[in-house]
Amino acid sequence: MFLAFAILTLAGALSVLWQRNLILAGMSLVLSFLGLAGLFVLLANPVAAALQLIVYSGAIVVLVLFVIMLLNTHQEEPAERERPIQRWLGLASAALLGVGAVGAVLASPAVEGLKAAPASAMTLQGLGAALFRDHLLGFEVAGLLLLAAMVAAVLLVKKEV
Amino acid sequence: MPTQRPRPWSRPIPPATVIARALHLAPETFWMVVKVLIVLLGPLSLAALLTWVERRGSAMLQDRIGPNRAAILGRWRLLGFPQIVADGLKAFLKEDLVPPHANRVLFWLAPILAFLPAALGFAVIPFGQSFQSGDRTYHMSLLDPGNGMGMLYPMAIGALAVYGVLAAAWGSNNKWSILGGMRASAQMVSYELAMSLAVLAVFLTTGGYDPHEIIESQRGLWNVVPQVVGFLVFFTCMFAETGRLPFDFAEGESEIVAGYLTEFGSMKFALMYLSEYIHIVTASALVATLYFGGWRVPFVADPGPILSVLAFLAKVVFFAWVFVWVRWTLPRFRYDQLMRLGWKVLLPLSLGNFLLQAFLIYRRG
Repeated sequence: MFLAFAILTLAGALSVLWQRNLILAGMSLVLSFLGLAGLFVLLANPVAAALQLIVYSGAIVVLVLFVIMLLNTHQEEPAERERPIQRWLGLASAALLGVGAVGAVLASPAVEGLKAAPASAMTLQGLGAALFRDHLLGFEVAGLLLLAAMVAAVLLVKKEV
Repeated sequence: MPTQRPRPWSRPIPPATVIARALHLAPETFWMVVKVLIVLLGPLSLAALLTWVERRGSAMLQDRIGPNRAAILGRWRLLGFPQIVADGLKAFLKEDLVPPHANRVLFWLAPILAFLPAALGFAVIPFGQSFQSGDRTYHMSLLDPGNGMGMLYPMAIGALAVYGVLAAAWGSNNKWSILGGMRASAQMVSYELAMSLAVLAVFLTTGGYDPHEIIESQRGLWNVVPQVVGFLVFFTCMFAETGRLPFDFAEGESEIVAGYLTEFGSMKFALMYLSEYIHIVTASALVATLYFGGWRVPFVADPGPILSVLAFLAKVVFFAWVFVWVRWTLPRFRYDQLMRLGWKVLLPLSLGNFLLQAFLIYRRG
């Protein structure tokens, strides 16, 4: 099962990169999210899987596809000037980020805890408690940031009267 | 006779166990197979029935006769009932056209993407009271309680339903279709918020999000009484989510031909059309579960498996009929009216309902 979902996730992600048709690329992104949701279920975290589908597939990608349809662009536009160094820099930074992320996860003390006892299934109640009790400050700051971004977006888009 | 085995006549053997033994299956496996069949075929056949209800019901509401010509062996017309079979046969036998400029991949994928979420959505909803048979408890929902997904599952699956419309819209490569797809996605995002907040208020008063818990908490008093605002918001959003009139902007045949369905014919069209009706069945089941006590029967504390399934079915059929009823009663809104209703009326109402419920719980302590 893990392999199936992992392959689904990877295939979706790679297809996003290589697909020249923007709508198909968006659909591939959804495929990748589906695989990710499956992985979350395997990790005994069905809440994260459901939220992954509701938030990312249900809202964000739909909005992205909406914008693509609004702009009516069928194909990815070719770059005006090819710069091969961008590709290599991108690859290098992605590799660095990946190594850094894996290292951070392996170094965190929670991994030791996992070896001792398998994680219990996450519930919505647990998620709420974690958000509003343990990480209240971070949650509120994120909310404030989002609000500021929303106000800014409305202000920027609004036409001068 | 070996003494360690319990004597077969010590206890009546439940009929399900008898069938399971005859098929050489463990009772759990047998029940799982039965549940999969019920959850897949139940909404499907209800949806097929609904197409007939829609046509006859609209005729009734508009003082017409409606389909009454199709007849079995040219003799039994049965109130136009054979029309379902005739329509299905026609859809299968019709030529399967793909427009030359269409994106073939998306065009083929679209009916599947529309149908799959519709068929999956029902899995978590309990369609009857759990019952004891022998020493086991059998739950009448495909996913047993405590699966951790709860009512988030139909919301997650429902969120995927829009991709069928989007794939159809883009794959057709037709301006009407793309307009329909854009409307569908904008509508989806706008109404998802108000709907989720209404459902969250139910989670709040229940103290849990498993549909079995939600139904259990409605013992005595259905959620619709304390949360009538939430129910109205949720039901309205369901019209938008299923793409039914007065919110069927993705199709809007008087404005954009048939929207995302314009280029579809034969069985592809039939699948997308059918999935709309399955969505109606699922939406009715959700309304019944969240606000009308699911399988609960008024004034009966413990209805038992048969009565509870009948009660649930009655509620689902009633709300499905309301969907049909509203479609043939109200005209279509304008698109800006839809957006205004979603963002300026439903969202504040839903938020207010949520805060009110939270406040009431806080007051109660």
